[in-house]
Amino acid sequence: MLHNQLTKPGLLFTPLILALCLLSFDSFSAGPPTIETLLERSYLDDYHSNVVFGYRIVTETETYGARYSGNHLRCTNCHLNAGRKPDAIPLNVAGMYPKWRSKNGRRNGIGLRIRECFVYSLDGIMPPEDSPEVLAVAAYISYISHGETIGEAPAGRGVPTLPDTGYDPNPANGKAIYDKNCTHCHGNNGQGIPGVPSLWGMDAYNKGAGMANTSKAAGFIWANMPLGQERSLTHQDAFDVAAYINMQIRPGDPRKSKLLKLFEAITGLAD
Amino acid sequence: MRNLRILSEIMPWRPLFTGKLNLPTETFAALIAAILVIPQGITFAYLAGLPPEYGIYSSIFVTLFASLFGSSSMLGGPNTAVAVLIGVTVVPFSGRGSPLYIDYVILLSLMVGLIQLFIWLARGGKYFQYLSPAAITGITVGVGIILILSSLDGILGLSPSGTLFFFEKIYVMAGDWHTLINPYSFTIGITTVITGIVAKTRYPRYSILIAMAVGYIVGLVLMGIFTQVNTEIELLGHVPFQILPLSYPKMDLEYLLVGISMLPNALTIALIGLAQSMVIVKNLRSDTDQPVNADKEVFAQGIANTLAAFFSSFAGSGSFNRTAVNQSLGSKTPLAGILSAVMVFLLILFFAPLLSYVPMAVIAGTLMLVGIGMIKPQEIARLFSWTGELSVFFVTLFSIVFLGLQSGLIVAFILSVIMFVLSASKLEITIKHVNESVQIRVEGHLFYASIDQLSSLLKRHRHENVLLDLSVVSYMDLSATEAIAKDLQKRKPKETTFVIVLTSQKLLEHFEQRLEGMPVQFIQHLRTQ
Ligand code: HEC
Ligand code: HEC
Repeated sequence: MLHNQLTKPGLLFTPLILALCLLSFDSFSAGPPTIETLLERSYLDDYHSNVVFGYRIVTETETYGARYSGNHLRCTNCHLNAGRKPDAIPLNVAGMYPKWRSKNGRRNGIGLRIRECFVYSLDGIMPPEDSPEVLAVAAYISYISHGETIGEAPAGRGVPTLPDTGYDPNPANGKAIYDKNCTHCHGNNGQGIPGVPSLWGMDAYNKGAGMANTSKAAGFIWANMPLGQERSLTHQDAFDVAAYINMQIRPGDPRKSKLLKLFEAITGLAD
Repeated sequence: MRNLRILSEIMPWRPLFTGKLNLPTETFAALIAAILVIPQGITFAYLAGLPPEYGIYSSIFVTLFASLFGSSSMLGGPNTAVAVLIGVTVVPFSGRGSPLYIDYVILLSLMVGLIQLFIWLARGGKYFQYLSPAAITGITVGVGIILILSSLDGILGLSPSGTLFFFEKIYVMAGDWHTLINPYSFTIGITTVITGIVAKTRYPRYSILIAMAVGYIVGLVLMGIFTQVNTEIELLGHVPFQILPLSYPKMDLEYLLVGISMLPNALTIALIGLAQSMVIVKNLRSDTDQPVNADKEVFAQGIANTLAAFFSSFAGSGSFNRTAVNQSLGSKTPLAGILSAVMVFLLILFFAPLLSYVPMAVIAGTLMLVGIGMIKPQEIARLFSWTGELSVFFVTLFSIVFLGLQSGLIVAFILSVIMFVLSASKLEITIKHVNESVQIRVEGHLFYASIDQLSSLLKRHRHENVLLDLSVVSYMDLSATEAIAKDLQKRKPKETTFVIVLTSQKLLEHFEQRLEGMPVQFIQHLRTQ
C-alpha cells in the first residue's frame, strides 16, 4: 500500500519525461531545425531559446536590443536577411573567432564584435560581455554558422573589396547619384522612411562605425543597393555616393566625444 | 457570516472608512518609496534574470495591487528572495532574459499568485506565525550575506565570472585579479558603498539615495574623462518603457509541461513570499495601531501576483526595507503604496534617459548596502542568551548561505516547528504532599507528546489520594483524557479519592463527557493561588 503511494508521483511524471525527451530528440534528428520552425515552437532548450532571442535582436533590434542601442537601426539593415546574405557582412562567421588582436593584447571573441556594432553602428552603449543580449546574438551567430569550416572565411564574408578606380571619390557626383537612385527610399536628407533605415543625421550609425569607412560602405552599397537593383552602380559611383553619405552630419565617435552622449540624453529630457 | 468576512477581505482599500488621513505625510512617504523601489526593482529584475523594465513594471503593478487590496502601510512589490528564486526556477528552462524566459516567468508568477489565493481561501495565513523570531533573524542575515556576495560581481566589474560560488570566485580573483577586476567599476562601487555607510550615521533615512547620487556622479566623471567604450563601465542601459505593458500567461501543452515541472518551486515561492509578508504583518501589528488584517494581506499578495502576470510583472512580496522606511516616514495607510506606484510611473516617464547612464556598480553598491543593513548585530546578540534559539539561528543561517535560500527556508520552518513542539511538550509538574493526599499541579499543554510524563506519575501514586490540579492547563487532547481514564480504571475507588481541579468550563465539559461514571470528583476554581 505504502509502496504504491510512493511510486505514484513517479508514474505520473514518466509520460512527461518521455514527452520532453521526444521534444528534444526531434531537434537532433535532421540537422539543425530552421529558424522558422524554432520560432513556432513554444518549448526550447537553453541553446535554442537563445538562438531565437538572438534572431529577434538581429531582426527587431529596436525592441529586443533596445537596452544598448542608441538609434533606430537594426542589425539586419546592414547584415541583410538577418545576417544570411553573402557580400552583406554575413554573420555566419563564428568559426573566425576568437582571434588575436594586437590592439589590446587579448584574444577577442565574437562578443567583442557584437558589442562594437552596438556602440558604433547602433550608436549605443557598450554592453557587458555577458549580457543576455550579447550571449543570445553569439548563440544565433554560431547557429547560422553551422556547416562552415573553422578558421576559414565563409563565402562572401564582409563586403566585396572594390578595385581601385584610380580616381578619388567625388562627393559632388555622389550627391547626384544619391538624388537619382536613393532619395525615394532613404529620403532627401538621408532620414529614411518607415521600413528604410536612415543613412545620416543623429539617428544613423556614428563616426566610429565600420560603415563610416568609405571603402567598406562603397563595397556594401555596390553589392546591395539600391535594394532590388544591386550591383547596378559602377564602382566609381559607389565610391562617390559612399563618400557623400559619410560627409554628412552624424553622431560623433564615442571614443572621442566624451560627454556628448550624456548631453544628448539631457537634451532628450527637454523634448 | 463567513461569506461576509471573505467579501470584506476582497474589497479594495477605501480612504472613506479610515478616519484621519494625513495626505502630505503619505505623499512624501510615497515619493521616497518610489525613488527607492526603482533601483531595487531593476536590481531584482536582474536577479530574476529579466530585463530591467520588468522590474519597473513590478514596482508599479505589484505594489499597486498589494496596497490596493491590503490593509496596512506594508509595501509590496519586487523582493530579493522571491526574485532570486524566480531566477533559480526558470533558468533550467530557457536562456535568461529571452522572450521564452519571460513567458515562463509570467506563467510562474500566475502560479504563485493562484497558490497564494488558494492559501487565503484555506485560511492558511495563521500557520505562518509558526516561524520563530530566531529563524526569521537567521533568514534575514542569510539573505543579507547572499546580497553582499552577489553584489561583489557588479562592484568589481567581474561580469564574466558568472555565478561561481563565492569561494571559487575568491580563488579565481586571487590568481587573476588584475585582468578580471575593472578598476573603474570598482572605484564607482566602492565609493557608493563607503558613501552609504558614512551617510547612514548622519541621514539614515536617505543614506541609500545619497550613496546612489554620489556613485552616479563619480561614474559620469569617469566616463567623461575616459569614455564608456574604453572603460567598459557596465551601464543600466535604456529602459524601454511601455505605458500599459499588458501581457498574458500563455497556455498550451508545452507550457503546461513546463508549468508542472515548476510547480514545486512555485509552491516554495508562494510560501516564502507569504512568510515574509506575514513577518512584516506581525511587526506592524506589534509596533503600530494600524488595523492590520492578516488574511486580507494574504489575499492582497495573492491577487497582486496573479494580476502581475497580466502586466508584464514578476511575483513579489512584502518588502522589509521599504516598509521600514515607509513606517519611519509616518505612513499609516495603504495610500502610500498606491501613490508610490503612480510616482514610479511618473518618474520613469520623465527621467528614463538619466537612468540609462546609471552604472551597474552603483546598483551593486546599493545591494551591498541593503545586505549590510540586514545584518543587525544587536538582534543577533539578543539571541545569545538562549541556546535553543541560537542554534535555530545558526542552522538557518548556514543552510541559507551554503544550501541556498530555498532549502534554508524549509530548514527554518522545520526547526521552528520542532522548537515549538519541544517547548510545548514539556510539562511543568509540582508535587506536594498535603495531609493524606498528593497534590499534582500541571502546567503546559496536555497532549499525546507530553502525557507520558503525567501518566507515569499517576501510576506511582495509584494507591494514594490524588488531587490533580489542571487549573492552568488550557489545552488537552483525546489521548491525554484517555490516559487519565485508563489510570482511573485501575484505581481502587473504595480506598482512595481522585479529584481534578480545573478553571476552564470547556475542559470540565470535556472531562464530564469522557469520564462519565468513573470515581472522580471535579472542583472548578475560577482562579487558584
Ligand atoms: C550601420 C550598419 C551596421 C549595423 C546596423 C550593424 N552592423 Fe555589424 N557590421 C557592420 C560593418 C560595416 C561590419 C564590418 C566591420 C569591419 O569589418 O571592420 C560589421 C561587422 C560585424 C560583425 C563581424 C562580422 C565579421 O565578418 O567578422 C558582427 C558579428 C556584427 N557586425 C554584428 C552586428 C550586430 C549583432 C548588430 C546589431 C546589434 C550589427 N552588427 C549591426 C555594420 C553594421
Ligand atoms: C528600394 C528602396 C531602397 C533604395 C532605392 C535604396 N535603399 Fe538603401 N536600404 C534600403 C533598405 C530597406 C535597407 C535596409 C535593408 C534591410 O533591412 O533589409 C537599406 C539599407 C541601406 C544601408 C545600410 C543601413 C544604414 O542605414 O546605414 C545603406 C548604407 C544604404 N541602404 C545605402 C543606399 C544607397 C547609397 C542607395 C542609393 C544608391 C540606396 N541605399 C538605395 C532600401 C533602399
